Amino acid sequence: MMANYAMAFDYKLCINCHACEVACKEENGVDLGAKNHRLWIEEDGETEGNFWNLNREKVEFIQMQCQQCEEAPCLKACPNGAIYIDERGIVRLHKERCDLTLACMKACPYDARYIDEKNALTDKCIFCADTRLARGETTTACQISCPAKLRYFGDLDDDESEISRVLRERKHFKLKSELGTKPKLFYLE
Amino acid sequence: MKKIETSRRRFLQGSVALCVYATSSFSFTSKQNSTTTLEKIPYLCNMCRNKCAGFARVEDGKVQKLDPNHYFPKSRNMLCPKGNAGIDALYDSDRLKYPLIRIGNRGDGRYKKVTWDEAYEYIKVKLVDILEEQKDNRSTIAYCNGEGFNKDEYIKFFGSKIGSANFLDEGSICLNTKLGATQLTIGDIGEMDVAGSDYLIISGANRYESLITPDSIDMLHTKQKLVVLDPRCTITAIKADAYLPLNPGTDLAFCLSMIYIALKEKLYSQAYVKEYFNDFDKFESDILSQNYTAKWGESKTYIPAKRIEQITREFFQAKNPLYYLGRRSVWAQNDFQFRRAMVLINALAGSVNRKGGIIFGKPIRLDEEEINEPLYSNAEGRFDLEGIVYGSQKGGSWLNFRDKILSHTAPYPIKAMFIRKHNLMQNMPNIAKTKAMLEMMDLLVVLDTMPSDTAMMADVILPECTYLEREDMVVSFNRLEPSLALRNKVIEPLYESRSMQDILKGLGKKLSMPLFEVSAKYDEDLQESIAELGTEKAYKEGGYDLAELYKESTAVRNKKLITRQFGEAVYTSLKTRGVWHPYIEEQKELYNNYYQYYPPQKRHYSVKRKYKVNCYLKKLEKYGFDPIPCWHKHYDFNVKNGEFRLITGRYITTTQSATANNIMLKEFQEENFIWINSKVAQEAGINIGDYVAVSSSLGSVVLQAYPTNKIAPQVVWFSHGFGIQSNEMTHAHAKGASDNMIIEDKFEKIYGCATMHETNVTIRKL
Repeated sequence: MMANYAMAFDYKLCINCHACEVACKEENGVDLGAKNHRLWIEEDGETEGNFWNLNREKVEFIQMQCQQCEEAPCLKACPNGAIYIDERGIVRLHKERCDLTLACMKACPYDARYIDEKNALTDKCIFCADTRLARGETTTACQISCPAKLRYFGDLDDDESEISRVLRERKHFKLKSELGTKPKLFYLE
Repeated sequence: MKKIETSRRRFLQGSVALCVYATSSFSFTSKQNSTTTLEKIPYLCNMCRNKCAGFARVEDGKVQKLDPNHYFPKSRNMLCPKGNAGIDALYDSDRLKYPLIRIGNRGDGRYKKVTWDEAYEYIKVKLVDILEEQKDNRSTIAYCNGEGFNKDEYIKFFGSKIGSANFLDEGSICLNTKLGATQLTIGDIGEMDVAGSDYLIISGANRYESLITPDSIDMLHTKQKLVVLDPRCTITAIKADAYLPLNPGTDLAFCLSMIYIALKEKLYSQAYVKEYFNDFDKFESDILSQNYTAKWGESKTYIPAKRIEQITREFFQAKNPLYYLGRRSVWAQNDFQFRRAMVLINALAGSVNRKGGIIFGKPIRLDEEEINEPLYSNAEGRFDLEGIVYGSQKGGSWLNFRDKILSHTAPYPIKAMFIRKHNLMQNMPNIAKTKAMLEMMDLLVVLDTMPSDTAMMADVILPECTYLEREDMVVSFNRLEPSLALRNKVIEPLYESRSMQDILKGLGKKLSMPLFEVSAKYDEDLQESIAELGTEKAYKEGGYDLAELYKESTAVRNKKLITRQFGEAVYTSLKTRGVWHPYIEEQKELYNNYYQYYPPQKRHYSVKRKYKVNCYLKKLEKYGFDPIPCWHKHYDFNVKNGEFRLITGRYITTTQSATANNIMLKEFQEENFIWINSKVAQEAGINIGDYVAVSSSLGSVVLQAYPTNKIAPQVVWFSHGFGIQSNEMTHAHAKGASDNMIIEDKFEKIYGCATMHETNVTIRKL
């Protein structure tokens, strides 16, 4: 099935509740340990000034995970040719070809990968491709658990999809777009 | 905060071998083959008080994943981090697995594994002795419960059947003042329609770090103006349109200023007041004569007078304003008056029984099952509401109860306690006192899933199964968009654990006849009945069969109850979807997996009902309290130089002490940190992560510091639910500090609720 999966975040709604992080780890069998995770929330900016006159405006919670780059630096960096983009536009790994050179981790400008020690490979978000999508579900674990429902997931090639609609209707930006990686994660203004 | 409290950012490690390897036994990747049986079973969560709905994915008898249930109007198709981590509560290797009888000293954790029958037999022998000694005063057996589900069933067993008057629950260390203030002021506890409000003021309730469904979810999906008052800049405060930092315990002063301004400037809804208010003239003249001007409000709260005026005017000009009544522990002596003032502000705006206000709604009433309750002529009444104006007849007052036992001023001794999922050794101020009370018991029985600090005090531990291993009785939820929901059994109970109903059934069978025989010896009414009817008939007709309610399983009882009252289709919906509401077939997705449940015109915003708003409570005046909320000098925020007011709360990933041992949630918050104003910390040379001793009149605890500008200079905060003492809770043991070790045990006298924010502490860097 051909598709071009992507995700958009209504990121200002995030309350950093960690539901997405736990849902992802439980769904995808990510090892315990705070350093192991396919996605995380970056707390960007701090409250400024003194308590009675606090400036809260700089505090933002940013959803971080593999950006599913169309020009993926990890893919180019892997000496074993283990990384590929699948028929749904998801950056994947030929697991048997990974021998932990860590070149992908060093190449990734988004710090998206971690070492999956159990399976001796580098792991990252693949939009629940081998769990939920493999079972025929249409949502990712992080998306469906989110109390704010701020994660839009779907097919960019389908004009009728909710993500296509929301990207048409709302201004958005990408992370580090100047690098030319062409990420497919969109942050809604 | 993230830098130290959690470490989510990771850096490339030089070598794989250096990384610590940890995995949970149950989180394997899902590989399906033809022999796998896969099921999706609807259940209700129990990781906190909310009872959100979910579907459990079960493969070959193992729960693999919990997902939200989009049919439930209350939880709105979401599952929070704790809900997602419920799987780790189910498969927690530290769980209580077998019935245990104590062989060591209380608290030292030495137990022997016994059979269920041996455990019941032990309890029987002790209880017969106790009731003989107390001449069948059934109230010598106190019983308590901290879990919402099954509470009524538990009360039916120990209250209705065994006959004790002494039931205690979490209300007096939680929100009884709020429930009481609403009930007494508008005649109903009501429900707050957050989704319908366009202007929302929240005092201290941290709705984005302590999720309440649907309130927190509705805040995220509603474009309303949010005003937050808090002595600590929480995530809720960060997300608010306006954040008003204030002194702890002075929210009432803000409310009084709002009321004063509304009355003075006649901002209130005059038509509503005319129709619904009792004693408005008294109220108006009383408040106006007190001169609670914005300037006065500023002097108490430190919120600038201009802001108080502005917020008040905006609130009363809004179409559907709501002053959120809160849902958390009681803070100060003025808590009842503070909650009542909030109800009165809503009423002045006309925000009662209408969209966006405190609504009465139309809950679905469930039929009661009939049971035959014995009458015990020697059972005495409860004593813990003595000296308290109202109090909860149902759940009592923990601190007053404990004090009366410890001081031997109770009219009769409490000899036995049955404690179900209520962690007394953590949940109320002054843990040393709780320990002393528990040590006075001749029999202490704990029903729980985890070897909590309280379980470690028990003589007998009865392992209850978790919420994923049992079917509970159907429950009716909410008033605006009412629904029924059923907790279905996802898997069979693990180890030798049992559901509460099965535990009580076994206990009932064991106890019925021996306890009846004690009554036959001391109860004159029963003796008459035996003389008249004969023993067998007197036993049967008198309702002395304690296991009567559990003759049939909850599954059978549910089926009978639901099909009889609502029909087959509703029952089928509850079994397959876990939920039923009248619009379930036509509920529609609004966007991105977010649903509309009741069509707007079908929601019960307003119902026909006669009610009044009571400005003046005569009973309070009679008992020497304020019939109309007002301020007293001793409510002023006062902290000596070098001292701090200790306030408490919790993290998004914790439910009091109940989630302390959860390996997944622990990743986010392994220990609690004390928040201290960054400037104050700097002057004291306290850096992030430094260990500090925090001392009150009760003693000291040690934990790490988190200097921040998000808390006032004279205030410190740390989360409840840490500092677990039980060695059996291997992931939680000795992590962080327990607030109730140092919170002084004071309680207010209108509802007998523990006041959690009235302790001053000193801090010393170690």
